Order: sequence, then C-alpha cells, then structure tokens
Amino acid sequence: MSAALPPDGAILSVDGLGVTTRDRDLLDNISIDFSARSLTAVVGPSGCGKTTFVRSLNRMTELTPGLRIRGTVRYLGQDIYAKGVNPVVVRRRMGMVFQRPTVFPMSIFENAAFGLRIVRADDGEVDRAVAEALQRAGLWDEVKDELDRPALALSGGQQQRLCIARALAVRPRVLLLDEPTSALDPGATQRVEATLQRLKEDIVLVLVTHNVGQAARLSDRIAFLHSGRLVEVGATADILERPREKLTEQFITGRYE
Amino acid sequence: MATATLPGNLPVVDDLRRDRTGHVRGRTIADRLVGWLLPLLYLVAIVPILDLVYWVGRAALPTFTVAVITTDPSGAGGGLYAPLVGSLTILLFATGFSLLFGFFGGLATAEYLAERVAGVIRITANVMAGTPAIIVGLFGYIAFVSYFGWGFSLAAASVTLGVFMTPYVFRATDIAYASVPPHIREAAVGSGARPLQYLMKVATPIALPQVLSGVFLAMAIGVGETAPLYLTTTTVALPPLGFFQPVSALSLYIWSDYQTGFILPIAIHRAFQAAFLLLVIVIGLNVLVRIVASRSRRRLEGLYQ
Amino acid sequence: MAIIAVLLGASGLENFGPSFWGFNATNYGILIFVIGSFLTSVPALAIAMVVGLGIGIASATYLPRILAAWLDPFVDLLAGIPSIIYGLWGYLVLGPFFGQYVFPWTSTRLAFLPGLAANRLSPAPNGLGLALAIVVLVLMVLPITTVLMRDALKSVPRDLWESGLALGATRWEVTRRVAIPYSKRGIWGAAFLGFGRAIGETVAVFMVIDQAAKIPTNVYGGTSTMASLIIGSIDAAFNLNASGVTELHFLAELALVLLAITLVVNVAGRWMVRRTYTEVAGL
Ligand SMILES: Nc1ncnc2c1ncn2[C@@H]1O[C@H](COP(=O)(O)OP(=O)(O)OP(=O)(O)O)[C@@H](O)[C@H]1O
Ligand SMILES: [Mg+2]
Repeated sequence: MSAALPPDGAILSVDGLGVTTRDRDLLDNISIDFSARSLTAVVGPSGCGKTTFVRSLNRMTELTPGLRIRGTVRYLGQDIYAKGVNPVVVRRRMGMVFQRPTVFPMSIFENAAFGLRIVRADDGEVDRAVAEALQRAGLWDEVKDELDRPALALSGGQQQRLCIARALAVRPRVLLLDEPTSALDPGATQRVEATLQRLKEDIVLVLVTHNVGQAARLSDRIAFLHSGRLVEVGATADILERPREKLTEQFITGRYE
Repeated sequence: MATATLPGNLPVVDDLRRDRTGHVRGRTIADRLVGWLLPLLYLVAIVPILDLVYWVGRAALPTFTVAVITTDPSGAGGGLYAPLVGSLTILLFATGFSLLFGFFGGLATAEYLAERVAGVIRITANVMAGTPAIIVGLFGYIAFVSYFGWGFSLAAASVTLGVFMTPYVFRATDIAYASVPPHIREAAVGSGARPLQYLMKVATPIALPQVLSGVFLAMAIGVGETAPLYLTTTTVALPPLGFFQPVSALSLYIWSDYQTGFILPIAIHRAFQAAFLLLVIVIGLNVLVRIVASRSRRRLEGLYQ
Repeated sequence: MAIIAVLLGASGLENFGPSFWGFNATNYGILIFVIGSFLTSVPALAIAMVVGLGIGIASATYLPRILAAWLDPFVDLLAGIPSIIYGLWGYLVLGPFFGQYVFPWTSTRLAFLPGLAANRLSPAPNGLGLALAIVVLVLMVLPITTVLMRDALKSVPRDLWESGLALGATRWEVTRRVAIPYSKRGIWGAAFLGFGRAIGETVAVFMVIDQAAKIPTNVYGGTSTMASLIIGSIDAAFNLNASGVTELHFLAELALVLLAITLVVNVAGRWMVRRTYTEVAGL
C-alpha cells in the first residue's frame, strides 16, 4: 500500500533530544530510533514527558512559547529542526492523533479531505484518498453512506477513527498517537486498537499510552519514560517479562506510586 | 505505482527542503503575508482614537482654566460649571434609580427566581441593553415629561437615564451573584447558614466587585448620553434648582453649541471643553471598571483553587 | 423589580404605540428613513465586520500575547467614547478632512464605481453626508464586532487548532477552514448586535449626515436615518405640541418601527452569543 518505504532501517531517529523550559528539563537526552512497520508504545507515569516527546517529533513543541529544543530528530536522515526546513512540510510527514477526538466542524468527508484540500488536490484524487483513508482507519463501512453528515454527529470512537483517517489521508509515513483511547469506552477502544493493529503493517506508529495492557496487546516495542528520561526501551515481551531497570519493573507491575 | 499519483502521497525521494507536492512555498508566504497585514488593521482603531483625543485636547486645553469648571455658561461662552454639576447630578440620581431596579432585580433573578422566569427576564434585559438611546429618550418624554407632567426636568432626565442604565446594572448583578462558585454556596448552606446570612456574609462580598464594575460601566455609558437627556430636559445656564426644574448637562451643551452652528470660535472651544470633561469622566470610570473587574476576577480564580 | 423596570420600558412604548398607528396622516412616508437607516448601517456594518474579523484573527492567532494585550484596549476604548464626541469630532475634524482630501480623490479617481462620482452638490468641502456617517459608524460599531469575534476565535479549543497544524496546514489555513467555521455563531452574533448598534445610533449620525429627507444620488449626499430624523425633528414636534400632535405621533411610530427592528436583531444576536461580555462597552 504505502509508497517507497525503505525495507528496513530507521524512518525516524532521535538523538540526544532535550526539551527545556526556563528552569527545568522536560526531556533530557533521549535517543531512540523508529523503523518501518513497527508500533512503539511510549509508557510512563503521568507528567513524565510522553506528550512532550511525541510533540517534538513533528515540531508541535515549538507552538508552546518558552520551550527550547536540543538534539536532533532525523526523518529519513534529515534533521527536521535544521534551518530551511519548514514545519509545515515536516508535519505533513507525520500524522498526529490527540487524546480527545478533534473533528472539525464540517462533514465527515471534508474532515477526511482536510489535508488534501489545503494542497488543492483535485476532486477525483480527494475522493480516492478519502475512501482509502477511511478504509484504512476501519471506518468506511460505517460511514460510506453518510459522508455528508456533520462529523460531530458521530460517536466518540467513530470520531477518533475519523481523526486517524484524516491523518492517513495525506499518507504520512509516521503516525503519532497521544493516548488516543483514553477518552473512549471499552468497545470504541477495541475498534481503535484493531485499526492500529492493521496500520502497523504499513507505517511507523508511536503510541503514547498509560495503559500497560494496551501496550502489551499492540506494541512491538515499549519505551519507558520517567521524569523526562528514557529509562529503557526494548521488545515488548522483554520489557514486560524481564525489565532491566527497577523503575520499569515497578511501573509495569503497577507498584509505581 | 497507482498511489504515487496521489497529491498527499509522499515523493519517493523525500527531501524535506525540496517538497513540491504541497504548494508549500506559496502557502507559507500567504500565511506570513496575512500575519503581517492583519495586525495593520489595528490602525483602523488606533489612528482615529488618537486623532480624536488629540483634537479634543488641542481644542480644549489651551483655553482650559479653572474658570471653566467654576463659572456658569453665558451666551456662547463662559464656563461649564452648571452643566458639569448637572451631568453629575443626573448621573447620581440615574445611578440610584438603576441600582434600585437593576441591582435588586438582578439579585432576585440570580438567587430567588425560578430558572424559567429568570431566563425570560435575562433575555429581556439583554435585549433592553441594546435598545437605542433615542427610543428610551422618546419614551421618557412621553411618559415622564408629558404624561406624568414633570416637564423638562431633573426628575424626568434622571429617571429616563436610569431606565437606560438599568439593564447594564441588572446584568452585572445577575452574573456576579450567579457566578459565586457552587461549592462555596454548598459549604455555606451545609454549615447551616440561613439564606439571608449566606447572602450578606458569603455571596455579597464575593459578588460585590463585579457588581461595582458593572455599575461603573453603566455610569460611563450613561454620563455621555445625549439623546435621552435632550428629550427630557433643556439646557439652562444654572446648576440644578430642584427636581422639577430643568437641568443642563455637558453633552447637551455640546449638542446645543452644535445646533447654533458654532458661529463663534468660543462656542467651539466650549464644546471641546465639555467634550474634554466628558472624556475625563468616561475614561476615569472605564479605568475603575478595569481595576475592579481584574480584582474580582483574581479573587474568583482564587476561590476555585 | 427588574420586571417592573422591564415592563416599564416595554409596555410604556406599547401604550403609545398601537393607538397612534392611525394618525399616520403626515406627508412623510416612513420609507425614506428606513432606507436611509439601512444605507448607513449596512455598509458600516460590513466594513466593521471585515476589519473586526481581521483584528480578531490577528489578536487570537498572529500577535504575540503581550502585543495583543497592549493593542486590544485601543479597540475597547473606541466603545467608551460618547457618541456626542464622535459627532463633534466628525463634524469639525473628520468632515473637513474627508471633504477636502479624501472625497475629491474618490469622486474623481474612483468615479467609475457606482455612487462614487460627484454631482452638483456633493461632495461638499465640509465632507458631511452619507459617506461620512458610514465612516463614523464604522468606528462606533467596530468595538462590538471586534470583541465578539475575537472572543469567539479565542474560544476555539487548542486541540482543534493543533490538529489542523499537525496536518501540515498553516495558521492561516486553520483560521480560515477550522477556526472561522467553528466561530460561526459568534460571528453572526457580532453582525446582529453590531447592526443593532449601528441602526440605533442617533446624535453622532445626525451631526455628520447632512440631514435631509431624501435618498442621495451619490454616497456623499445628505440623507436621514430613522434615529437621526427623530432627534432632528423633535424640536418642531415639541413646539407644535398643541396643534401638531401628528408630528410627535409620527416620530413615536417611527421609533416603534426602529424598536421593532432593533428588537429582532438583538434577540437574534443574543441567541447567537450566549455568553455576556460585561467589561467592554456593556456588551
Ligand atoms: N509549556 C510548558 N512549560 C512548563 N512545563 C511544561 C510545559 N508543558 C509541559 N510541562 C511539564 O512537563 C512535564 C511533562 O509533561 P507532558 O505533558 O509531556 O507529560 P505526560 O507524560 O504526557 O503526562 P500525562 O500522562 O499526564 O499526559 C509535566 O510535568 C508538565 O507539567
Ligand atoms: Mg500527555
């Protein structure tokens, strides 16, 4: 499905990433690679910097005044923070899904088409891309007959999958998800998880979650963050069964306070 | 590859600096341009206001002496003592009137009335706040000057202006009492406070600053009004003599100087001096509004922590 | 108690309303003034909406917060200036300026646009007329439209904004395609409430409109709105009180029509703008 993904190797590689406010580090010296067709779960206690981390991967951090960024984030070998790189271009490569569904006040179709409309794609292409994106997000069968209805009329879970479809419609190579199911009920969560399960055959997924169970169900790898540091990263089974670090073990076994 | 033609599809060689798929350059330039041009629209507000203040100051200040506020008008010249005192007197009584109905009405609406009744009253007050002053003035003329037979008088002017100001006071009071945090009310009621005690000891201290800022705002809006006064009193060169005697006001002097066509330069000066005095009062009241309002906001925020 | 005040306002007007409808025997038709009111209010509102939306977007999106906090009070201050002072300034300062520098230019260079060409009487050097009334009204309506739209735009949830940006949209694209549709109610509310303000404005309009009971043939000519007619004819009505009751009744009826219009507009506007903004201009 997806075009020209390198068969192997890192799509995104983060090296020495730090984010600081005037008086403290929110992220400190984080290095990690994300390769094609993988789902990495980012877990850690509340306030440890998970959101800050994924937001620095697509240059959303710089929207918050007062944050400084150190280190490099490379996309296909190119530093996204380098001079002359437009954040608009970077963000197009990396879709983002938020904690709460953020559908726009327009029809289901126009929501999914948003990223294509802004680049003035022609109608035939938009139709195709929207249908494809809705299929990939696992929403097509539910909405294909009511594409003109306002998106706000959908249920929460459907809205969240629409947000995923909206991000997929521009065919990014990376999808960043910040606790995408924490505002959803179990049924809706399960459908979103099924969608992610399928998507990880395709693109790079970075999933922030506070739910270790979800990480266990979906991820290939788990990255454990604690007070702005990347404590440990490894294959899901290893992290869950044989964590090397005490902090990780405490968190995993729910003994973390 | 079929999908490679999709515009959203990524180029096979994906160079972040040389992205031709998304019209990035044009769109970014458009965004920058908008970011530079839109703030220029502030000039539409800033230039006139500075020009207006400049002209009022320039025309009023060179001839502005203490005599302006201590002597009565005479002919086209003289001071503005009578209209200044007149304006303040009308404002005093009008504020009293608007407090009587606006404050107690707002209080009742926020605290005691059934939700549905309160809703209807709120809508009415909101709509009344948008009623043109000239209509309130005409109503004042027909009701007070003519029907009640008060004639052109301090009483008619004050009550008319009071009617005009009432919805503003009403809304400020209503919102102030209604926005007392519910957990505070519950705590007060839970600890056995009687309704009147709750009102006097708990709600009023919290709501008062917001009420006050609303009252000051109503005063700032009211003191500069011309139409309601012009239809309910006439310009006289003397300070108010009694309730049922005519009384003059600053705005009325500007208006009557305008009506006589500004034939003499001193009339122009007097009009601008009156305008200057009005501006000082209005801006002073607005500053009060801001100070009191920001205090009350801070206090409310404190209550939620 | 508010009920009393409210009823006083509403029912008092009703009392003299219906009984006077039959007296409309004057040779004035009401239509000129209705048209005059719309000729001044609609263009003024249109300009104030565009400028206000621009300022609102600049304030909510583009300007650093500190700069916006310095600039926004200027707009708020416009709301605090009494109309009589706008009238005075418009009549003595703005009028001559437009009459001598602006209108001569627009009436020659832009004469190809409908209504902008000069005729025998206007533009006059004192600048008074419909166009000047529109200019002054723009300033008086601007704070309402700006504040309401600015607040509406600022209440667009942060997540929604960021979702747009995260899709690779520019700030302008998110504003245009997401923030403005999201703020639609507030924008409509601004239009209605701004219109209510514009059409009810009295003394300032009277002082700059070169009052005349006619529809002008170009934008510089004199005309009359409903409100300006009331204030302009009230002296005559007072003096004629014994014999010329009809005059006063005519004005009262005109006031009723004006009231009806502002009522409809304000109810619509209030319905759109649920929140109340008490700190600026009594909005
Ligand atoms: N703009 C900012 N300025 C200062 N501190 C900030 C800023 N943004 C976030 N923080 C702080 O940085 C830390 C990390 O925040 P972040 O939102 O990334 O945590 P998180 O792991 O996503 O938490 P949660 O699980 O609650 O979502 C928190 O302590 C937060 O208070
Ligand atoms: Mg978070």
